[in-house]
Amino acid sequence: MNSVAQPSVTEDMNLVTAVNRALRGEMARDERVRMLGYDIGPIGGVFRATEGLYREFGPDRVLESPLSENGLIGTAVGLAIRGERPVVEIQFLGFIYNAWGQFVYSLANLHQKSGGRFKVPVTVRTPFGGGIRPIPFHSESTESYLIHTPGVRVVCPSTPTEAKGLLAAAIRCDDPVIFLEHSKLYRAYREPVPVADYELPLDQCRLVQQGNDLTVLAWGAMVHTAVKAAALVDASIEIIDLRALAPLDVPAILQSVRKTGRCVVVHEARRTLGLGAELASLIAEHAFEWLRAPVRRVTGYDVFFPEYTLEDYYLPSVTRLRQALESVLEYQQ
Amino acid sequence: MGAYEARWTERRPDEDYDRVLNPDGTLLGKRPDRSDEELCAWYRAMAGSRLFDTLTLRMQRRGELSVTGNSLGEEAIGVGAAAALQPGDWCFPSYRQMSALLYWEFPVDGMVAALMGSPPEHIAAHLPFAGRTPPVHVVPYTVFLGASIPHAAGCAIADGLNRRRTITLAFVGEGATSEGDFYEGANFAGVFNAPLVIIIQNNQWCISVPANRQTAARTFADKALAVGFRQARVDGNDVFAVYEATRDAVEHARAGRGPTLIEAVTYRVADHNTSDSASIYRGEEEVAYWKSRDPVDRMARYLQRTGLLDEGERCRMLEADEQDMRAAIQRAREVPPPPAPLMFDHHLLGEPSWGIRRQQVELAAELEGRNPFLSGDDGDA
Repeated sequence: MNSVAQPSVTEDMNLVTAVNRALRGEMARDERVRMLGYDIGPIGGVFRATEGLYREFGPDRVLESPLSENGLIGTAVGLAIRGERPVVEIQFLGFIYNAWGQFVYSLANLHQKSGGRFKVPVTVRTPFGGGIRPIPFHSESTESYLIHTPGVRVVCPSTPTEAKGLLAAAIRCDDPVIFLEHSKLYRAYREPVPVADYELPLDQCRLVQQGNDLTVLAWGAMVHTAVKAAALVDASIEIIDLRALAPLDVPAILQSVRKTGRCVVVHEARRTLGLGAELASLIAEHAFEWLRAPVRRVTGYDVFFPEYTLEDYYLPSVTRLRQALESVLEYQQ
Repeated sequence: MGAYEARWTERRPDEDYDRVLNPDGTLLGKRPDRSDEELCAWYRAMAGSRLFDTLTLRMQRRGELSVTGNSLGEEAIGVGAAAALQPGDWCFPSYRQMSALLYWEFPVDGMVAALMGSPPEHIAAHLPFAGRTPPVHVVPYTVFLGASIPHAAGCAIADGLNRRRTITLAFVGEGATSEGDFYEGANFAGVFNAPLVIIIQNNQWCISVPANRQTAARTFADKALAVGFRQARVDGNDVFAVYEATRDAVEHARAGRGPTLIEAVTYRVADHNTSDSASIYRGEEEVAYWKSRDPVDRMARYLQRTGLLDEGERCRMLEADEQDMRAAIQRAREVPPPPAPLMFDHHLLGEPSWGIRRQQVELAAELEGRNPFLSGDDGDA
């Protein structure tokens, strides 16, 4: 696990600004880095993540594209074949299904299929997650679809500092990386973020807080829900921000659960075959003797993400998670 | 025959496409401005493609390889287009352009080893690329047809953005033009004015689905209208016509004037692949008609008529090529089967993840005849 060393010069910023700073830094650093997406030009993205980049770097670096997710991913793979390092914005994760063919056949598979001849250094940034009350398919947490495909990294920052360092690392990585930016976290709060360039590892968990009685596994906005819920129970709770959803940092997860003997996974995604299912299986297979209670999953329900009037009942709340923590802590064999 | 069927078969007598060489080998237009040796090389690649198909079909029948598709009757398109490229250009073939690969002298042993189920890195380890480096960069075809069109667009856009003078050529079958990938890739290329040439190899059958079930457009070339490409439509069994249309499109692209869509009308004389039985869904008279317009015979007649290649020379050339090809196939046969752990390679760069390492250990135990679930590793990194 890794913690960020805090250099002295920082600037207060929210997560979307941290994303913007990382993009700007990478574009200045490497002229092969090109933004590719729709609404990323003069308007700067619907969340303003690419704000100012079009003006600074021009239309050959910020490629305003037709409205086609499959075309975006496929064209990015073609650019990567020629040594470019495209950063694609998919406007919402719920729009990526149109790109399913290019995601599986090309983005994830080209390196393997070509016997290593072609690298695919494409970063796909996409907002995901619920809580901002939009229309349908703008709140998806369907990261399981992505994780089930080999050949791609799936990364999710939960803080502005994490976002800046992980995105820089994603863009510099020669593997395809899906970079999940939680839309509710974009402007949720500010924190001091190092101004200097830094990278964070794409394959390691982050220890959010240490504890001895129970491990909470979370990512994205649920990390913050976990911190709030942990403060409400009378026990020592360890919280791990997975950060790397694929491939998983399994040793760190097992080490924590073997220490605490209890685990709750919390995610916004639907329960069936959500990442919690894989985590619970890994723990059952490799930490069985250490467990003092069954692993509990606190998740969205197995339904389509509901209308925004009902989203508070769908998303795991602090209360729901606190109750789960209590049930696991009170479990008697 | 229903109305929709009448519209879209190219058995119609009014062949409304460009032609340079008549089926009887006489010239209708002007001979391409290329040397005699070059024209003989085109024929040689076409005849080589046919021989490759014959020999690999026999291998499939003997159970030496799983499935092959062939280019029978479509040999003019690959080489006619390939001959219009320059060194350093990029090509995204589909899987019926063997004549292009032979024209560029791609090693036959490697191609046969691939058909026999060897992954590229295994072939590279056992059949070092002996010949010269192919002059054109060829990206292996995507099994999901049409998926390469956005890649070709991105490849060409990269050249445009970097002000390079290389161009990209992509092939696609008429069936794959119905996929979103085709339109999406072409649309990107149009918007970015990319130096791209797409050739639709319309062989009129997509396994068992006829061309008239792929589109209600007047021609496949008309798909250019929706994406702002220039268009051309040629007799795909006429290597000169394919060459001239491609050369013109390539010059246009190289000059930075944008992409072109070429429809080359041909006919899939063979079954779709070795798992297909075309006699279930189409008549013999249709196949016979197209066999009479065979592209390889047409070119042979031209070369003979003009004295560029007499019968004796032609036979000696093909005999020597057959010896070479048989030797290459033998080399492919001698490639050992790929080792099972190879399947884990080239997914992500760097050290394998914990999950992959564990699965590698399990497979290794299984290969050694041990119980993979008693491999002793209980989750420690």
